[in-house]
Amino acid sequence: MGSAIEQSRAEHRRAWLRAGLLVLALLIVVGAYLGWSRGFREEVQPAWVFESPEMRFKYGSIGAEQDAGIPYWIFYVLPRVFPEKFRRDGQIAPGGYAALGVAWEQGRELPAGFTKKTIGFPRVANNCAACHTTRYRASPDSNPVFVAGGPGHTLNIENFFRLLIDCARDPRFDADILMAEINRVTDLDVIDRLLYRFLVIPITKKRLLEREAQFEWIYRTDFPDWGNGRDDGMNLTKYFLIRAPMDDTFGPADIPAIWNLAKYDAEKGRLPNYAGDTHDVHSVVIDSALGVLGAPPANKAEFLEQVKWLKDYLSTLPPPKYPFPVDAARAAAGKVVFDAHCATCHASERTGTRLPLADVGTDRSRLDTWSRDAAIKANRIVTDMGIQRRGLVEEDLPGYKIPFLDGIWLRAPYLHNGAVPTLRDLLEPAAARPKIFWRGYDVFDAQNVGFITSGDEARRYGTRMDTAEKGSGNQGHEFGTGLPAGDKAALVEYLKTL
Amino acid sequence: MPTPAVPSPSRWRRRFQALVAIAVVLPATLVLWLVGRFGADTPVDYPGPVEHFKYGSTGGEHEMGFPYWIWRALPEVCGHYLPGPGYASLGMLYERNPDGSLKDLPVGTSKRRYQGVDRVFVNCAVCHTSTVRTAPGEPPLLVPGMPAALFNMKAFEEFFFRCAADPKFSKEYLLPEIRRQGGDLDLLDRYLVYPVAIAIMRDRVLALKGRFEWVFEQKDWGPGRVDTFNSAKVIFNFPMAHLDPKEFDAPADFPSIWLQRPRREPRAMELHWDGNNTDMTERNKSAAFGTGVTPPTLDVPRIKRVEDWILEAEPPAFSTLFSIDPALAARGAPIYREYCAACHGASGRDFSGEYVGRVTPLAEIGTDRRRLDSYSETLAVNQATLYAGYPWRFSQFRKTHGYANMPLDGIWLRAPYLHNGSVPSLRDLLEPAAARPAVFWRGNDVFDPVKVGFVSDQPEENGQKFFRFDTSVAGNGNGGHEGRAYGTALPADDKAALVEFLKTF
Repeated sequence: MGSAIEQSRAEHRRAWLRAGLLVLALLIVVGAYLGWSRGFREEVQPAWVFESPEMRFKYGSIGAEQDAGIPYWIFYVLPRVFPEKFRRDGQIAPGGYAALGVAWEQGRELPAGFTKKTIGFPRVANNCAACHTTRYRASPDSNPVFVAGGPGHTLNIENFFRLLIDCARDPRFDADILMAEINRVTDLDVIDRLLYRFLVIPITKKRLLEREAQFEWIYRTDFPDWGNGRDDGMNLTKYFLIRAPMDDTFGPADIPAIWNLAKYDAEKGRLPNYAGDTHDVHSVVIDSALGVLGAPPANKAEFLEQVKWLKDYLSTLPPPKYPFPVDAARAAAGKVVFDAHCATCHASERTGTRLPLADVGTDRSRLDTWSRDAAIKANRIVTDMGIQRRGLVEEDLPGYKIPFLDGIWLRAPYLHNGAVPTLRDLLEPAAARPKIFWRGYDVFDAQNVGFITSGDEARRYGTRMDTAEKGSGNQGHEFGTGLPAGDKAALVEYLKTL
Repeated sequence: MPTPAVPSPSRWRRRFQALVAIAVVLPATLVLWLVGRFGADTPVDYPGPVEHFKYGSTGGEHEMGFPYWIWRALPEVCGHYLPGPGYASLGMLYERNPDGSLKDLPVGTSKRRYQGVDRVFVNCAVCHTSTVRTAPGEPPLLVPGMPAALFNMKAFEEFFFRCAADPKFSKEYLLPEIRRQGGDLDLLDRYLVYPVAIAIMRDRVLALKGRFEWVFEQKDWGPGRVDTFNSAKVIFNFPMAHLDPKEFDAPADFPSIWLQRPRREPRAMELHWDGNNTDMTERNKSAAFGTGVTPPTLDVPRIKRVEDWILEAEPPAFSTLFSIDPALAARGAPIYREYCAACHGASGRDFSGEYVGRVTPLAEIGTDRRRLDSYSETLAVNQATLYAGYPWRFSQFRKTHGYANMPLDGIWLRAPYLHNGSVPSLRDLLEPAAARPAVFWRGNDVFDPVKVGFVSDQPEENGQKFFRFDTSVAGNGNGGHEGRAYGTALPADDKAALVEFLKTF
């Protein structure tokens, strides 16, 4: 009888053990599924994103959510929790991300160039359109027009970089405070709430602070601000891709237009980037995209497919036509002036090729931010990622290249560093060009071809550009500056048609 | 064979039962009781749509609701921040119970039990219901859906912010006042729930006070007006002190909200004074923010009841209170057709017309531009983030550059006129701006059936002071909507006929 009891007890124990193991196994499976589903499961972006190539360019993910992505709800509440950190020329600017001059189409959940993708949880990252979409308005009493592929002349990238770090540094970047604000705008389920509180928020803070060291140079008080529409691109590559130690170079340049990229041709010496720093479009798209990703691509094949799509799209994207009236007769007269004075460089075999700096005399700071050595290192790093490309030119470059003038009407301000507000100003000798102006206000100046750069509104929405400051010199390219006023006006009229 | 020393099952059973009782039943009972006491989320509902409109919930009590007895006690404890006795002095309207006593809550407030406390906050009717009288001394007629021409929203907001910052906003002052008013708080309420609620409410209002500091800096809106879209910027916590100064001082009249269906069908009109949205459900949900709602706390089915009601609700006819001269009105009809119909609709019920519900550029209409400037493109793009994650995320807000042409249903009850209420009567609106009253008084609900508008030349009645409206103050400009095309050059008898015809709307 005792052994019967023993036996039944043993059976009981085994049954309990079995049940316990089963429950444990179930918990592990459910936990693993939840962890994968809420942490890593990738969702395809919604169909509207792919409605047209332009939509894909503006809102399609290029894979940056993986590493550089900010959890959507953190991104969402930052302007509400840290309104004082959204600034323009040091002044607090109302409007959240809009205050940073992003190309935000009315009715869209996010600005152009800001992509939303779910990888476990919704995340926000950037694509090329963040910098390469232009907004302009015909008058103060009109709504903006957005041009895909154009320079983001209103965008304050430096403040955007600083903003994210400044928020992460702030003690208010804390789960209690962020969750209180998030709960005011959405209804997360229990699992997401726990994930946000204990993982997503602390990890995001940590990841943002990891950028601090590499971004040290954007806090340097001996450098002026980049201002709207400029970035110190080669230094970004140096400090982020190569992880080079900080040096004293500083060379912010205008965000370029990236339409009509088929014009570049390595065989004819027509190379992309201001100094022709890169061999071909394939390479420049890869390098720029890697900058947006902030890390080696998670899926290389997918990344290269994106690169190919971008290259194809941008190669054939036409420059925008001038949308305002053009005086045809005056433009025809202008063409004669152009052919006599500009075409040798800007409409010839030489277009797109490098020119020694001394021949043009523009500000050299941008040139000094890059070197043969940096190019060699950057190429090696990308090759080590297993990505094949002709890459950066491994030479010390003598000067800037002669730019193509396609869509030049929408590429103000002018010169590589945006130191001259309008085409008309560029036709004056350096001494007579505006020394201080405000860049990044979006109302078009059809008279002088460029944007309005003075007055109350330009001061409020633009950033101050002082041509006496480092990297902002407005000298050089003093060509055509001696033409009679009538010829200058005609020339400007003709340039509208390019 | 000896029986093994197994304890008797019945003894174990008793121990087990005791253990279960202590470890499970007691806490479970406590939890159940707590859930019952604090877990409920129960709004007070009303069967009829009009009662629901006047007293039903939008969901705003969750986030902003004042515990019922605090709401009741505040006007007494903080009476020094009110222009007169009670919420009525802010232009809130109290209806009577069947027994003739005043109701405990004014029109435009709702009640909901949430987290164990009855809470009160405002609903749609607070801004969209008012009264009209035929003469001083006559009883007021309450009209749901008409602009709340008596409600002083700025004073209402300032009252709560000032009171929360006052040392008297404390249990030492509030609890005795609650007892005096007959509030029978039980022990838990008296010693735990209300003291905690008072502290929480005070913190919450004070936290919001910073976001609303700009309101104190504004020129007085007076009764019947609100600065809608500067208030909307508060949702995003815009740093208001750094706003472009031209965006401030932008009060606009509360609109009437009856007959919404013809504003949506057959063609969606540009809604709001500046026509910044063509989607009625977005317009409605946007307005609901004004009742303290947040996306997670919006009471979708109860808002829907209001939305359904305002689709068809009709304004009362002018003839219910006054008579119309049919011959004179008939003479006004062709004048209306010639001068007004293209922009304002064929009649008070037929809103067809080429420009009805569309924006007229400011340069053309020429009315005060502050309301227009208060709505910035920066705000518009931010509004597209509202309700993110919900199927009804806003996507239709657009910056415009003029004011929308409104249909004129029930126009007689929508005085004063123009978006900023700067012209007291329809008859005055038919004068060129220079001949319109430069100063008048708002907040009187006695009607002037000749000029069509509320009596506006009396500074006070029985000691109750009205709001002195000065058209030279920023945001109050009475210019625009004038010139030959707008009828201000018509002969006097044509103007009288036109006004008579408008009474039929």
